[in-house]
Amino acid sequence: MSTGQAIFRDVPDPPAPKRPSLGSRIVKSRTDYLYVAPAILVMLVVIAYPIYYTIELSFFNTPASLALSQKQFNGLDNYVTILTSSIFWKVTWQTIIWTVLSTAIAFLLGLGAALALNREFAGRALLRGLLLIPWVVSAVAASYVWKWLYHSDFGAIGALMVQLGVTDQPINFLDNTSTSLYSLIVVNVWKEFSFAMIMLMAGLQTVPDTLLRAAQVDGASPWQRFWHVTWPHLSSVSTVTILLLVVQNFNSFIIPFIMTGGGPVGSTQIWITHIYELAFLRQRWGVGAAYAVLLFIIMMTLGYFYVRALTRGDDQRAGA
Amino acid sequence: MTDLDRHAGVGGSAARQVVKFTFAVSLAASLMSGTVFAQSVDLSKWSPDYVKSIAGTTTYDTAKDCGAVVPNDYTGKVTYWYTGPFEADPEISHRQDKAFWEAFKVAYPNIETDVQSITYNELLDKFRTALLGNAAPMVVRLQILGGVEFAAKGYLNPLKPEDVGYSSADFWPGALKSVTYEGVGYGIPTNNETMALIWNAKIFADAGLDPESPPATWDDLVIYSKTIHDKLGIAGYGLVAKQNAGNTPFRFMPQLWAYGGGALDEAAATPGYKEVWINNEGSKAALQAAVDMYVRDKSVPVSALTNTQADNQGPFIAGELAMVIAHPSEYARMNDLASKATGADKEKADAVVANMRYGLMPTGPDGKRAVVFGGSNIHMVKSDFVEGGNVDEQAVKALICMWTSPEWSVKLNWASSNPGHLGGFRTEWMKERLEQTRFLDITTSMLPNGIPFPVIPEAPEIMNIIVPDMLQNALTETMTVDQAVEDAAMKVQAIIDGSGGI
Repeated sequence: MSTGQAIFRDVPDPPAPKRPSLGSRIVKSRTDYLYVAPAILVMLVVIAYPIYYTIELSFFNTPASLALSQKQFNGLDNYVTILTSSIFWKVTWQTIIWTVLSTAIAFLLGLGAALALNREFAGRALLRGLLLIPWVVSAVAASYVWKWLYHSDFGAIGALMVQLGVTDQPINFLDNTSTSLYSLIVVNVWKEFSFAMIMLMAGLQTVPDTLLRAAQVDGASPWQRFWHVTWPHLSSVSTVTILLLVVQNFNSFIIPFIMTGGGPVGSTQIWITHIYELAFLRQRWGVGAAYAVLLFIIMMTLGYFYVRALTRGDDQRAGA
Repeated sequence: MTDLDRHAGVGGSAARQVVKFTFAVSLAASLMSGTVFAQSVDLSKWSPDYVKSIAGTTTYDTAKDCGAVVPNDYTGKVTYWYTGPFEADPEISHRQDKAFWEAFKVAYPNIETDVQSITYNELLDKFRTALLGNAAPMVVRLQILGGVEFAAKGYLNPLKPEDVGYSSADFWPGALKSVTYEGVGYGIPTNNETMALIWNAKIFADAGLDPESPPATWDDLVIYSKTIHDKLGIAGYGLVAKQNAGNTPFRFMPQLWAYGGGALDEAAATPGYKEVWINNEGSKAALQAAVDMYVRDKSVPVSALTNTQADNQGPFIAGELAMVIAHPSEYARMNDLASKATGADKEKADAVVANMRYGLMPTGPDGKRAVVFGGSNIHMVKSDFVEGGNVDEQAVKALICMWTSPEWSVKLNWASSNPGHLGGFRTEWMKERLEQTRFLDITTSMLPNGIPFPVIPEAPEIMNIIVPDMLQNALTETMTVDQAVEDAAMKVQAIIDGSGGI
């Protein structure tokens, strides 16, 4: 036995197989590329061209009195205007608060709900269905319903608070610059925590039951079982979920636009609603385009990490 | 006693109203004196009684009249986009719309029509997009503020009433002003309307106010609103101040103009749209009045900062709001809401409808009465931007002649507006409308007090963004009144100068 091992040790490692060049890989897989060519062409038309046009437009001044064909080249002026504006930085800070709080709270609530629903109990299926309702309800309809729930004069929440003796007057949720953004975050979390719940419930299916039982037999507490067994199995799906939530929240439009229109005094204005206002309500297409390019760069950065998280381990699997 | 007297009140208050109404008419007449046209109806006599007296006095044969402009046997094609009746509109609007297209087919059997009805909120964006792709329709009907943007950008062909067989004197001077850019007309008014003050007479009585007398001035309105709130604990006046909402300037600008203010000089006899008035004493006084109601008296809805008029309809029909500014169609809308109510709510809603009153808009301290001149205009697009690259001018003129005729400018605006063609007021159909639609005479009589928004491409940004922002800055006490008007003035000036931040 030991002799055999010595013989194997003496044999030099075979040289690593040379990775074929990109060109030869494309030629080798030309049929596959032909299959996806129509889809790529369509994407070039409906995605690549608008991106190119937005980038081009971002270098032009587009006064309301001129047609777009008469736009005036102004170099980086639009970017300078945006980046030196105090409003931009105020909106950016609000966007960060909106995105970070919405994502964090929705994820934590979704995780809690997923863990709870992963256990067997009577009525689990019904509860799972009920918790999915916010996610399937139209965002427009939900926004109008919440607007009335929050209504500063006749809202159900305010009336309940008064009836319960919590406050003397209905709480001013939306017509107050200090509370409006956080009130909208609550609606956003309500709307999207189910998404996190579904993703994490799927992730929980990958946690081997045998490991959990073994840990239990070894005397691990529920927290230890979660932290050392369950959570490591959820890390990939958690990364993907968080990234998707971040992208979704950066791009949120319906809830702030319908419920407050960005007000009062711009306190609920976030990037995407501000871009919409600049481009479509104020017809500053050039500045709006430059703003959109900045958002695009952030989205692409997040997209890169998303794809990386999604494809983590693919190369090793391909090598094996 | 005239209808105006009945709605405005009795005794001394009626006399006061009459004096002020006379002043307003004189003012309107003086504003119109700049025009070279002799109007086809006598605008200096404009009053609810005059409107009633001329209704049904003239008959028209539309197909024949338009046949003199474009022969009825003309063969061609026209494409048209407009905001037609949708599901929420009354049945009569659908019937009249259908009847128009049937009548057009009879008058011009050889003109092929390709028509799209697009919602109010989508039309502008869709039209802008189509223009960029040279796929616009030959004819488009846009809201009153919409046309000048496209005229300035060179998308529209010059078009005036004379091109389709009418006279400029057949239309409101203010309406023609709204389609005139740098001295050239780019459209024809299809319909015009103004809003009025609506109040709940029972709430007035419960608060110890004369139920049949609306506040005569905006200062009175502030006092009425406070009285109602203090005595009954409900909102007095339905202030709306939502950001990014056209609803806001439609209700606040009349107040601003009445006090002698303005965004630019749009309320002047001959506006040049270069002078900034938003920080003058009148504008400050108007903004202060709004702040007094919201901050000091708390007599208007707390939700004003996120409200549009649609949000005020619920509280009004529930008897929780005493006064609003709205369209002539508001009465029909309230009736509709009442018909959908049930149980005790139904009783309450029916009582509110029975107690609804319409009155003239309040005046400023010096008797000036003003209201936004609303409506729509019809335009002809240049060939370069039309699908196929060709505009069939004869077919276009045939359609525009029919659409803006006295007959169809009444029928197509039956439930919601007034005829753009003044001849429409003389038709039998106008007489029928006046008999059918309650309070129509009041809103119609506000037309001479109508002021169009500035006729410049930047007007939407000034009205829909800067004016609401100014209100919000002051109402939330983020800025003082002085700071808010100066901030707004700086932004308006920047826009006029062609710059402006974000």
